[in-house]
Amino acid sequence: MRLKDNPFLILIPLIFLAFLSLFFGSAGMDREIIFKIRLPRVLLAIFAGGVLSFVGATLQGLLENPLCDPYILGIASGATFGISLSFLFGSFSYFFIPIFAFAFSLISLFFVYILATISGRIQKLSLILSGVLVSFLFSSLSILVMVLSKKQLSQIIYLIMGNLSLLFTPLTLWIFLLTVVISIFLLFLLFSYAKELNILATGEEQAVSLGVDITNLTKVVFIISSLLVGFVVSFVGSISFVGLVVPHLARLFFGFDHRKLLPASFLFGASLLLVSDIFARTIAPVELPLSVITAIFGVPFFLYLLRKLK
Amino acid sequence: MNLLSLRNIVFSYNGKRLFHQFSLDIPEGDFLGIIGPNGSGKTTLLKLIAGILKPSKGEVTVSGENLLCLRPKERGKLIGYMPQESHFLWNFSVREIVLMGRYPHHKRFEREGKDDFEIADWAMRMTNTFDLKERGINNISTGERQRVVLARVLTQKPKILLLDEVTSHLDIGQATDILRILQELNRWKKITCLFSVHDMNMAMLVAKRILLLSKGKAVACDIPEKVIQPELIKEAYDVTPIIGTHPELNIPWVFLNL
Repeated sequence: MRLKDNPFLILIPLIFLAFLSLFFGSAGMDREIIFKIRLPRVLLAIFAGGVLSFVGATLQGLLENPLCDPYILGIASGATFGISLSFLFGSFSYFFIPIFAFAFSLISLFFVYILATISGRIQKLSLILSGVLVSFLFSSLSILVMVLSKKQLSQIIYLIMGNLSLLFTPLTLWIFLLTVVISIFLLFLLFSYAKELNILATGEEQAVSLGVDITNLTKVVFIISSLLVGFVVSFVGSISFVGLVVPHLARLFFGFDHRKLLPASFLFGASLLLVSDIFARTIAPVELPLSVITAIFGVPFFLYLLRKLK
Repeated sequence: MNLLSLRNIVFSYNGKRLFHQFSLDIPEGDFLGIIGPNGSGKTTLLKLIAGILKPSKGEVTVSGENLLCLRPKERGKLIGYMPQESHFLWNFSVREIVLMGRYPHHKRFEREGKDDFEIADWAMRMTNTFDLKERGINNISTGERQRVVLARVLTQKPKILLLDEVTSHLDIGQATDILRILQELNRWKKITCLFSVHDMNMAMLVAKRILLLSKGKAVACDIPEKVIQPELIKEAYDVTPIIGTHPELNIPWVFLNL
């Protein structure tokens, strides 16, 4: 079987990387460390990298814009604001941060939805504009809050810039697992629109004439994508780069059919984030924010692939 | 009964009224060429029938059923629409593009089966694009791309085919190719065709009837001999043509004069 036809072959490197990540690190092979510290990281990396890339590919298709990333809908900035706010109130606990972050991503979702709805319909351009507007609003509010609670600035930056060092208590573990189950369901729902996304990429009018209900498609994909991004950002912060670039990487290997592209993006994204996390926690004496690693290592890697395969 | 009817259509474009109480009847098997000056409403008319634009008043009915009451996919099985220009964001292969035409016939998770591949192959042979099937849609010429889009519309297996400015970006060889394909489809597959063209003579080559539009009104809608009259063309275009006869096909032919 050729790689081109079956994106699930990426599972092989993904599983290898997951094991590598479990057993590799400065603290050695201690059983406690593997299960309590590294296993959650591996799960979070797969979850975050996969979901962000899947959503990125979906939104690039829906909005017919190869430069879209999952944060274009403004959801992440809401979550970021939630994270900063929870610092301001001093409720610095691993339980409250995701809850606050998710609550505010829902609020920004609501804002974007209201702003983007013009005479009962969501149009794509207004969706992008509203997302960007809400993004700016919440970003500046976050900065305001950070300045007010200045002493924990670097801690906030760690959380916002992407960080997988969430320590699970039994309660947060259950919340995380529940989130994963809901996310799998939502990803499956998004995947069910793969054919519509294919057709949409060949022109909006042609899609309508073929029988695609674009109004409904835009609304559903927007809401599901926003929820998924909200989940991810609430747990790990806004990891940049993967959601933008992994879909292009997947297209180089698997072509443009969203029925292959979406699962391929998930698996590539998960793998890429596992690698980035291994680097983030081993190359420097202090753990580096993930976004720094994904971009510093991802950009040259992506450029190399682009030149080699095109 | 008419296959397709437009009843008292009112439609405004950017606040400007284009169609007012516009009505049109298309019997099954018709081959209607739509001509008229720029801005006369040719494209808008086709888009109203395709369900891309919605009239603010009046209704479009297909076999007596209101178009707006049909589910989108049901409409997709009845009406195929080919736009004047097509742009493709992602470089899908020609075969993938053509297979998308099966979308309205499929359920949500249904994958393409043997029948779908056969229909797509038939459509690609019909439009002479079969040899391009592995090529990327953005790596072929404009004329080829136009034929691929036609192949996709054929794969849709519609009863009514709408084509907007089919020949506009094509040379005369490619244009006559497309017209020949349409004529065959109309003759042998009984597909009802509505197409808009700038060049009236192109319309005359194949159309059974001609609709002459001007400012959203039908100046005339009849067999070519009755529509191609100097005074009607003067009314629509404000030029006086010389009208002769095609030496072989014995149809009216429009000559221009400065």
